[in-house]
Amino acid sequence: MSIYLPIAELSVNIFLLLSLGGVVGFLSGMFGLGGGFLMTPLLIFIGIPTNVAVATSANQIVASSISGTLGHWRQGLVDFKMGGVLLIGAFFGSILGIWIFSRLVAIGQIDTVISILYFALLTGIGLSMLIESSKVIRDRIRRKSVKRKIHYHNWAHRLPFKVRFYKSKLYISVIPPIIIGFVIGILSATMGIGGAFILIPAMIYFLGMPTSKVIGTSLFQIIFITALVTILHATTTFAVDAVLAFFLILSSVVGAQVGVLAANKLRGEEIRALLAIIVLGVATKIALDLLVEPNEIFNLSVIRLVF
Amino acid sequence: MIKQLIILFYFLTGVLTPSISIALVIGSDQEEIYIDANFSGEELLVFGAFYSDPSQSRDSKSDILIEVVGPPEDVALRKKDSYFGFWLNSKSVTFRDVPGFYYLSSTSELTDEFLTNNQIGLLEREKSEMIDWSSLTTDWGSIINEKEKEEFFNALIRTKQNDSLYKQVSDEIEIIDGNLFRSYIDIPNTVPVGEYTVNLHLIIDNEVSQEYSYKFMVTRVGIEEAIYSFSKNYPFFYGLISLIIAIIIGWSGAEIFKRFRRI
Repeated sequence: MSIYLPIAELSVNIFLLLSLGGVVGFLSGMFGLGGGFLMTPLLIFIGIPTNVAVATSANQIVASSISGTLGHWRQGLVDFKMGGVLLIGAFFGSILGIWIFSRLVAIGQIDTVISILYFALLTGIGLSMLIESSKVIRDRIRRKSVKRKIHYHNWAHRLPFKVRFYKSKLYISVIPPIIIGFVIGILSATMGIGGAFILIPAMIYFLGMPTSKVIGTSLFQIIFITALVTILHATTTFAVDAVLAFFLILSSVVGAQVGVLAANKLRGEEIRALLAIIVLGVATKIALDLLVEPNEIFNLSVIRLVF
Repeated sequence: MIKQLIILFYFLTGVLTPSISIALVIGSDQEEIYIDANFSGEELLVFGAFYSDPSQSRDSKSDILIEVVGPPEDVALRKKDSYFGFWLNSKSVTFRDVPGFYYLSSTSELTDEFLTNNQIGLLEREKSEMIDWSSLTTDWGSIINEKEKEEFFNALIRTKQNDSLYKQVSDEIEIIDGNLFRSYIDIPNTVPVGEYTVNLHLIIDNEVSQEYSYKFMVTRVGIEEAIYSFSKNYPFFYGLISLIIAIIIGWSGAEIFKRFRRI
């Protein structure tokens, strides 16, 4: 059974969409990620045009991060003030990101740039997850407990415009969070990701936020940034496909809840290592598409329909 | 589901002499192809009948030619080149008003000469040495070399063929009882919406004897049309509604599962 997507202007198998959303949702529920970094490239693999994949992915992340934020919010693990400061940067970053995106569409380089960005992002994510999980597995075998520093003092604490973030027990300058938000905003608009993968380590290592508050705060921030990106894409690139988004959201929300349940029952590190391998597999596929001489070196895109 | 577009195409002969007289009877139960939520491409049926003129010599050859031309569109064709091992888009050409869909089928292989003389076809230019650039408005960009232009033109046709949007065949028309013909034309799910023209030609001894044309529409309908036009006319509200749907499903999903887990 297939469904015609009105904005992508092609029909796809409905079960393919549902299983794609379900699997990405499952992984995101299990690891507490947005899943956009897998959703966008997988959509492109199944033939969805790049701009539609990016814009619709952003829309889907709104739903999955709302689901996630609710849980953290109830437990008081969201630093709204920090989220708000990050959003100031993200607001301007995503506007710049949309502008870059539209320019790349106009000069016909969007596919290439998205491929390169995704290759870099996925390789980084995949390798760091693989190293992290293998370290944990090794330590567990050696029965060694890993001690982590809770608070880092670095350059972020020496800049002006210091503000007190009570929830995170921080007294730092607003400049680093605004810059981080700005960068995430650009990436979100151009790649259709929430950016948790970059945001979370940045919040821990650059801002020195307590780990317990990081996930909730980043999810909270991602709701608004992806919401903004969705609106910006809908109004400038016209690439948000509501039908595609609907099926992805429905299946990913269910998948995410199952993933949360599974996370409580399964051992994390082995699955994390497996996810790392999936991520690296996707990265390899993207790299091959860039490096291997294509069968058809010409590609056609319709720029104006009469109708 | 086969929606049929029925064309009865009668060539009645010998009623009025000396020239061949023709009566056309056109029956059509549908003049539109609808793109709805279930649309996954369609088969367009074209059929009819033709009668040979008795005054015609017995060894003369009759052929049927069916041409389907889709609505014009502007396309950007980009060529990839290798830069430091990476295959990146480099040169780009914009073709204006090329058919979004093109299909040509005949009962026997037609020569390029015939097609060129009768101004039929688009794909035959791929083979012919004399390329008629004048019929296309093209923005060649940085390309000035004739050979490169031809390479781009051939690539335009090839990429369209790969997407099943351009096709030229000589074995898809079924002839039944010598003067009834029938052909199923594949309309893939990626076809552009708009007005399509079907041209039928009866060819006798390599001369076009009779021509007949009719049009049909490919239209978005129902929810597909509603979503598409809403997204173009009210993009802000379209984005907002997409968001609201995401929020509702995301929120309620979390709530439903929270209750489910408590049980």
